[in-house]
Amino acid sequence: MKTYATYNIKGGVGKTSTAVNLAYLSAASGRRTLLWDLDPQGAATYLFRVKPRVRGGSRGLVSGRRPVDDAVKATDFDNLDLLPADFSYRNMDLDLDDAKRRTRRLDDLLSGMAGDYDVAFLDCPPGVSLVSENVLRAADVLLVPLIPTPLSLRTYTQLVGFVADAPRPRPAVIAFFSMADRRKRLHREVIGSVPHDDGARIAETVIPSMTLVEQMAERRAPVPVFAPTARVSRCYQELWAEITGGKAG
Amino acid sequence: MTAVRSARPRGSGTFDPDALRELLAASFEVSAGEPRVVAHTVLDTFDRRLDRADLRLELVAEAGTERLELTRSGQVVANVLTGPWPRWPAMAAALPDGPLKDHVAPLSGIRALLVVGEERRLVRRAELRNTDGKIVVRLDVDDAGLVLVRPLRGYQKEADRAWRLVTTLLEPVTATRAASPAPKSAVDPGAPARTLLAAELTGFLDELRDNLPGTIADIDTEFLHDVRVAVRRTRSLLKLGRPALPAHFRQVWEPQFKWLGDRTSAVRDLDVYQLGLPEMAGWLVAADPADLEPFEAHLAHRRAAERRRLTRALRGVRLRRLLDDWAAELAELGGSARPVDGAWSAGALAHATIAKAHRRVVRGGTAISDASPPEDLHLLRKRCKELRYAMEMFAPVLGAARLRDAIKDLKSLQDVLGRFQDSEVQWTTLRTFAHDMVADREAAQALLAMGELTAHLHAEQQRARTEFAGVFAAYVRPASRLRMERLLGDDGRAAG
Repeated sequence: MKTYATYNIKGGVGKTSTAVNLAYLSAASGRRTLLWDLDPQGAATYLFRVKPRVRGGSRGLVSGRRPVDDAVKATDFDNLDLLPADFSYRNMDLDLDDAKRRTRRLDDLLSGMAGDYDVAFLDCPPGVSLVSENVLRAADVLLVPLIPTPLSLRTYTQLVGFVADAPRPRPAVIAFFSMADRRKRLHREVIGSVPHDDGARIAETVIPSMTLVEQMAERRAPVPVFAPTARVSRCYQELWAEITGGKAG
Repeated sequence: MTAVRSARPRGSGTFDPDALRELLAASFEVSAGEPRVVAHTVLDTFDRRLDRADLRLELVAEAGTERLELTRSGQVVANVLTGPWPRWPAMAAALPDGPLKDHVAPLSGIRALLVVGEERRLVRRAELRNTDGKIVVRLDVDDAGLVLVRPLRGYQKEADRAWRLVTTLLEPVTATRAASPAPKSAVDPGAPARTLLAAELTGFLDELRDNLPGTIADIDTEFLHDVRVAVRRTRSLLKLGRPALPAHFRQVWEPQFKWLGDRTSAVRDLDVYQLGLPEMAGWLVAADPADLEPFEAHLAHRRAAERRRLTRALRGVRLRRLLDDWAAELAELGGSARPVDGAWSAGALAHATIAKAHRRVVRGGTAISDASPPEDLHLLRKRCKELRYAMEMFAPVLGAARLRDAIKDLKSLQDVLGRFQDSEVQWTTLRTFAHDMVADREAAQALLAMGELTAHLHAEQQRARTEFAGVFAAYVRPASRLRMERLLGDDGRAAG
């Protein structure tokens, strides 16, 4: 099972949209895909019309008292399952702190489902925490959406440093520009001047800022479902192909 | 997660979709699509390897889309939602990369996937949603009133509720699997030997006929292999059954089937090489696997030429006439079998044949020393094959458990002789190929790599030869002989 995590220290950069759309594309290509909505806000869970409730909550899952696969819900789409968010995930840091192998707990839980899925996505809450440390341990690839602004790049540099300081094995980092507006001079300049020599990879594909992405919350579905030929759908497909090199999982 | 459950109208009753919809609407938001034709193209290998693994591979076409779906008991194991698909028949290697291919390829192996069934159904798909608008259960309703309830992971309670509602109107369908082929039924040892021979030979003829179209179309290499097995078994049974068969069988039919067997040898030998090339490439130490590419091309070229000759023979009048006449002959043989005085019984023939074949194996094996030429081991291998065929062919007369043990004893001996002989033949033909390739001015790297292969084959042959004495000693040990005596019955007649 290959695990991708959409992660950024900063919030509101398009992590959930990326996780939902790429997970959908992974599933549509025939790969059994699991999306774990780790964000207590539960946006991905909402988009898939699943109730943001996990029996036993964060403590039940983290402690192992509740089998993690009992919490999994099928989405409306073939091959795509969801491990929903729960508001108790806001305390996941504390629950992890109490657990054995505190920085590897999420990895252990995911490993238990490796036979059921080919690809897993972790939609992570923003910030730096014990949850993020677990994510670094569990993920093979960290997908980092960046809004093309200087402040966003600054946070990205912090993130690269955070990953570099993490114990091995560390995930590969693939960043990409998200919510980009080519009409804005600043966005164009930042995309044009991005450094490529900091040890992490910046994808060629840029996800544009489009109202269709915002409409996901209204339609409660991934963009390729309700706008399969739209430019932004094509961009997500290109991004997925670029990330996987044409081969996922 | 439970599997898909299905229900249908009770007895000869009719199905009322509106009543079902009304019933379900009390618990779910029901949305039903328009009826549409769903075409299922079922794919499997010729010998149904997927079916035997309880799997069903289908290309499902509906509403302008096609998906490839692998299911077990109606539950999707893996699928691919977008093409392009290979043209069938196709090897599993041609499937799109992913879990479906990973499931199918190890099962289908060297056999091609071909269309084994097609069906078109008029299906109305319905989705049952909860109050959040989330799909929690899927239903398929076909034109015959068959309703499939498909649970979704994490929504089992909802699926159970839908099932309870569906089965208030319809009756559950109990899944039945196609029965596995029945074991050969026992034959009374006192029955006429000709009855048994006619039945066995007719089975081989059916096998031969079934595999001819796939051989001619070159769907995969196993069709030709199975044709050869059917021919070889026919030839063996003609030989083993000589005492009980009419005299003209030997003069007329043995040469006919020899002719057919000989036609198939060249392509099969080349197939064995082509199938073995990836493994052979792994033997290389100094050379690079890519160095074997000219050899691969040489094999492909030779095979194409030999296949043209084979196809001509298989499509020809001689074979058609041979098979028709043989079928008529077997019908007559089966019809003429009567228990009359002096005629061979099945038990007596089984005993005489197996005892004789076994004596020949023991005598031949005992005579082999370190100085024996390879031909002697080859001859012993042929005798072992005859004994094996005799035991399998007379299975209906022999006890199944005793037969299994006796075959197991023989198999180890066959394995070591097989390794010896295969290495010998491959070593010899590899050298012939090398001479041909020199004449064709092929690259020196290929010849050097082939030199490494001959060295490996020679070493393998020596290993098999060294192992032979120990394996043969085990075969003739008292326990093994005792098993053979038991197989043949205490009274000197085959056990029933």
